[in-house]
Amino acid sequence: MKARILDRTDVLKVVDLLQARGYEVIAPFRGRGRDTYFDTVTSQNRDQIQIHFPNPYYPPKRYVFPHIERLMKFKRNNGNLQIEPACEQPKRAIFGIRSCDIAGIYHLDRFYLGRDFRDVYYENHRKNLFLVNVVCSDCEQDIGQECFCVCTDTGPAARDHFDLQLMDLGDEFMAVAGTPAGEALFADSIFLKGTEAHVAKRRTILDQCRRRFKKDTTSWFSATVRYVTRGEILEKTWEEIGNRCLECGGCTYVCPACTCFTVSDRPIGPNEVERVRVWDACALGGFTRMAGGFNPRRAVHDRRNRRFFRKLAHYFIQRELSMACVGCGRCAAVCHGDIGMPSVVETIRRATAEVDEHEHASH
Amino acid sequence: MSTPATENIYLPKTAVLERVVCEIADVKTFYWHFEDPTEQAAFKHFRPGQFAQVSVFGVGEFPTSLPPSPSEDETFFTVRRVGSCTSALHGLNPGEKFAIRGPYGNGFPMEQYYGKNLVFVAGGIGLIPLRSCIVYALAHREKFERIQIFHGAKTPKELMYVPKLREWEQTPGVECHLTVDRGDKDWKGNVGVVGSLFQKPGVKVPVENTTAFVCGPPIMFRFVIKDLLGMGFEQRNIVSTLERYMKCGVGKCGHCCIGVAYVCVDGPVFTYEQIKKLGEDI
Amino acid sequence: MPHRLTTCTFCGVGCGIYLETAGNQVIGAYPSVSHPTNAGRICLRGWHGHEVASSPDRLKTPLIKKDGKFQEATWGEAFDLIARRLREIRERHGPHALAFLNSPRCSNEEAYLLQKFARAVIGTNNVHHGTGVYCNNSINVLMEMLGVPAASNSISELAASDVILIDGVDLARRMPTLGGVVLRAKLGGARLIVVGTRRHRLADNADLFLQIKPNTETTLYGAMAKVIVDRGLENLPFIKARCREHETFVSQIHQYPLLDAADACGVTPALIEDAALTFARAKSAAVLYSTSMEERTRDSVRAVVNLVLLTGNLGKRGAGLFALAEQNNLQGVCDMGMLPDRLPGYAPVTDEKARAELEKIWHSSVPAAPGKGARTILANSGSSGVKALWLCRYDPVSASMFEAANCLSQFEFVVAQHLFMTETAQYAHVILPTTAYGEECVSFTNTERRIQLAEQVVEPPEGLTPAWEQISTVAQRMGFAWSHASASDVMDEIREAVPFYSGASHENLAREYGRQWPCTKDRPLGTAYLFASDNGNKPFKFVAVTKPETPTPAPKDFPFTLVCGSSLYYWNQNVLIRHSETLRREYSILLTDYPEGFVEIHPDDAKELQIRDGSKVRLHSETAFAVSTARVTAEVRTGTIFVPYFERELEKRFLGSGRAGAVLVPVRVERETA
Repeated sequence: MKARILDRTDVLKVVDLLQARGYEVIAPFRGRGRDTYFDTVTSQNRDQIQIHFPNPYYPPKRYVFPHIERLMKFKRNNGNLQIEPACEQPKRAIFGIRSCDIAGIYHLDRFYLGRDFRDVYYENHRKNLFLVNVVCSDCEQDIGQECFCVCTDTGPAARDHFDLQLMDLGDEFMAVAGTPAGEALFADSIFLKGTEAHVAKRRTILDQCRRRFKKDTTSWFSATVRYVTRGEILEKTWEEIGNRCLECGGCTYVCPACTCFTVSDRPIGPNEVERVRVWDACALGGFTRMAGGFNPRRAVHDRRNRRFFRKLAHYFIQRELSMACVGCGRCAAVCHGDIGMPSVVETIRRATAEVDEHEHASH
Repeated sequence: MSTPATENIYLPKTAVLERVVCEIADVKTFYWHFEDPTEQAAFKHFRPGQFAQVSVFGVGEFPTSLPPSPSEDETFFTVRRVGSCTSALHGLNPGEKFAIRGPYGNGFPMEQYYGKNLVFVAGGIGLIPLRSCIVYALAHREKFERIQIFHGAKTPKELMYVPKLREWEQTPGVECHLTVDRGDKDWKGNVGVVGSLFQKPGVKVPVENTTAFVCGPPIMFRFVIKDLLGMGFEQRNIVSTLERYMKCGVGKCGHCCIGVAYVCVDGPVFTYEQIKKLGEDI
Repeated sequence: MPHRLTTCTFCGVGCGIYLETAGNQVIGAYPSVSHPTNAGRICLRGWHGHEVASSPDRLKTPLIKKDGKFQEATWGEAFDLIARRLREIRERHGPHALAFLNSPRCSNEEAYLLQKFARAVIGTNNVHHGTGVYCNNSINVLMEMLGVPAASNSISELAASDVILIDGVDLARRMPTLGGVVLRAKLGGARLIVVGTRRHRLADNADLFLQIKPNTETTLYGAMAKVIVDRGLENLPFIKARCREHETFVSQIHQYPLLDAADACGVTPALIEDAALTFARAKSAAVLYSTSMEERTRDSVRAVVNLVLLTGNLGKRGAGLFALAEQNNLQGVCDMGMLPDRLPGYAPVTDEKARAELEKIWHSSVPAAPGKGARTILANSGSSGVKALWLCRYDPVSASMFEAANCLSQFEFVVAQHLFMTETAQYAHVILPTTAYGEECVSFTNTERRIQLAEQVVEPPEGLTPAWEQISTVAQRMGFAWSHASASDVMDEIREAVPFYSGASHENLAREYGRQWPCTKDRPLGTAYLFASDNGNKPFKFVAVTKPETPTPAPKDFPFTLVCGSSLYYWNQNVLIRHSETLRREYSILLTDYPEGFVEIHPDDAKELQIRDGSKVRLHSETAFAVSTARVTAEVRTGTIFVPYFERELEKRFLGSGRAGAVLVPVRVERETA
């Protein structure tokens, strides 16, 4: 592992280095109250970049999979039909992306690029994307009430899939290169050689962070994966969960690993139409409804159940080579009915424990 | 990540509508060819049972099965008018342009059926996705044993591909049986559900060494499956094609996912055994 | 890609959301975690707001109708024509031949200037927000009994409520974020009581669901009050200190014996008793009812206010009465005086002193005679005497309100301000295209009295001006020296005209997450819940409600009750919904499943009549007959047939046109066999 040390006062110089190399740099900023968001760094806002902050709600996945994105334009003239694909290929770097979101982008990589059909729009956004991961080391700021990355094994410090990783050690930051591109930055004089003491300090801080997480969810997460995979969850439990779904789609939209979209054609001129893709959500009633009226998932709990199946069933984890839940906890914070992932895991745990108890008693 | 330029899987190619044939009420067949002959040549490698995505200007895109067999010269779709996109296609005139991408999906693994009896059971427009397979089998007649076609519709006017049915009826070595739910004054054939044809005197459905292809509305599907299982068909020897709401056709948009399968890339052709294992009702 | 905190302008919850822009396009939307009302949640409509904001088919130039066809015109031509025609019609027919209607989605600034235009420039009180006509009943009752026509408490306080009672409204569909607050309160230990004829998502989650017969709320609340009085569970210290006419109320309560009420409402006596005791024993209980879409009689509102007074659930955190304003600015347009009988700030138009105050600000006289409301103007085949109509962002035709299309075609002159060529705009003589959400900075007031800014995040299409500015321009052309340079200037005038807005400068509103009124110069931070301090010389007033006549039992031949409902599918006709692929898909599922329309019947009833979902049914009343498609759903109560609002033809056939009051029609249902 290639690691270096940089002085606390130099940490934002990483942003400058990337900008000098032609990257549009995205970084976290604070909005009103506890609100935070990722935005483009300019000379005006550069000094407001946050290192420790509640992870922005609106996930950075939109830099590779935008909320709404033009795929192509159709033009009609004199009976001819012209089709012009959009082919934006930005050169971007995200500074300050959390470990869970790194895992989310890795999952999207697997999904959009790792199979028979490669998604060219995703690839165009992804191929010049440089990821600077900042480890969640501030228990107050970085780690939220709903975080559970220790359960999904995606944090608080990502192990791979970043270009550069920064971790706050107090007066200094440790920088770890994950790719040759990341390592190339070490040529700059702000990066200094580290010592064993730095590595030890890193370990101590991470241990403290891990203790910050709630224990019970951790132990039940893998059990829930097993139950879901085997289809051992009672219809009644899914119904209980489904009844609390208000079908807002929020969990899907904030999820760093959700991939579904819909496609829509809309006029942009008298003889011109654009085809856009927009995030879509499996919780919505129209998601599977077919023209003509047949809907295989009419009941809300069928749709709800679907989301957790897609995320937790072993089959999908294997197919995508990574789990579609990265433990960021956003779905818990966005949910009107408190059926985000941690609370569903808890509900399933309780329900299964009851069944087990019952069976135990009857034996 | 430096790979050679990735092909844009979402980009359709323009096609010209040649002619339109009315099949039954709200169902028409659209003959077309790609503007670019190289596209046409590339497309012709499709397999029976695959599907394509069709774009109509200003409205959107929809999936539709490919009823022609690659053994045929012409390329065409047979489309029922159900939503805004299909309605827009119905509104096009010969000479007008639209756009197509594909072919997609697994298609029928035809070579697996070599040396077998083939039984086709189609309810209404369920004949559309099976047509390709039937024509292919007849074009390679020597590779298959007995071929039976059962087709049912609500009324005689709703039987699909009637000229083709007449041709199949006349083809030696093909048994073609038709039925309707309600006859009219000119109808002299069988009246009853498709399954009733299996009981008709003179009809003997082979079960051993046979693959059955079943396509049609959900209720017909359920009953025919019950009949076939009752006759002793194994689940893995019953084949169907599934339809789902679909946006991309290439396993990305998520709409067509049933249980563990994406209909667009893992299907649309599934054995009944696979369907049962999907883990979700169909 | 700047991110701006703004206010979602879809429903009355007024969620805080961020819009992300790139260039002059909105490219994303997401909720504010810190906003006190929505705390990180928004509904589907909020998540897709960005699609609507960037919809391409906007009107971009003024249109004037010549020989039945719209032709593009210059702004000058359009404003001159409007000023000239309004003047002509006023001279010929008098000021009351003109009327001004707006949508409850209009901003405070627009609403204020539109009613000021009607009153000060034209000289008529013919002003109304068009949609929630029933909210007038609620306003009048709340004024009479409490003195303030708005929700008493804050949405965020519901997390601290012991008991929450929801009356009628399907919150999860209509105001999902508020539905979520209630649902989470329930999960956190609050007891949830749901009253209503329809089963919905929150009813499924309720501790007590009283699925009552249609229009029996008054009886139910009367009986609950009687249980509370009989058990001695009244909050006497509160009543003594803060209420009047309690004795009159109690002396009338014997009208509501439990068993009779249970019979009338169609629920068990035990359930009513349980609901009454649960409500009365709560340390803090909140009641939520909708004021806008469904029929609401004054008595049914009085009955529920009595219940709140009896248990002392006012003036404390987590309690209160939420008169829900469902549209994003229904509360605000009422506050601004878009009411034919009330001035800005709710003083009656007949109040000479209040008029004099306004005349001082407006430098013009204010008419004393109450004006005509939307129902009068847009129903009765255009016999209201109104000849010219100004519609601000209001589209009654596609919402199937009243007989709008028929009436509109008879007016001499119609002005429409809108973003799109709506069905209503087709009837206009002049169309003024205007700015959309995100293209101007204006204020809206949500259902918890929170006055908030919706920020400008993009530039409007070239040439388009805010609707308030257009109103101001026409006033100038009619000789009035209106000189507001910005919406903020308009708000400064509102602060003079509406005392409880006096502290609500745009600058103050922008500081946090808006301010809840009363937001005055003395209390610039606003008021989270009302009535915290003693109301002194204006005690709350109990109003005894005479027991509604027991409806005659359904005739044997017509065992079902036909209920026409407005609320449930209201959004699907919304012009904004139609501009987002996902929203259109989601809000039209039922319409595409039942393309020829439908009526709803309970599965038990359907089974008995051998009616299957999607099959044709025949409905007979004593005087009318219709065929429709059955939607079999456990959402409706047994014994009722629910007719959704867009089935106007069916509704008209059974109820007659211009229906008023709660009409329930006994019908017979048969399976159509042909």
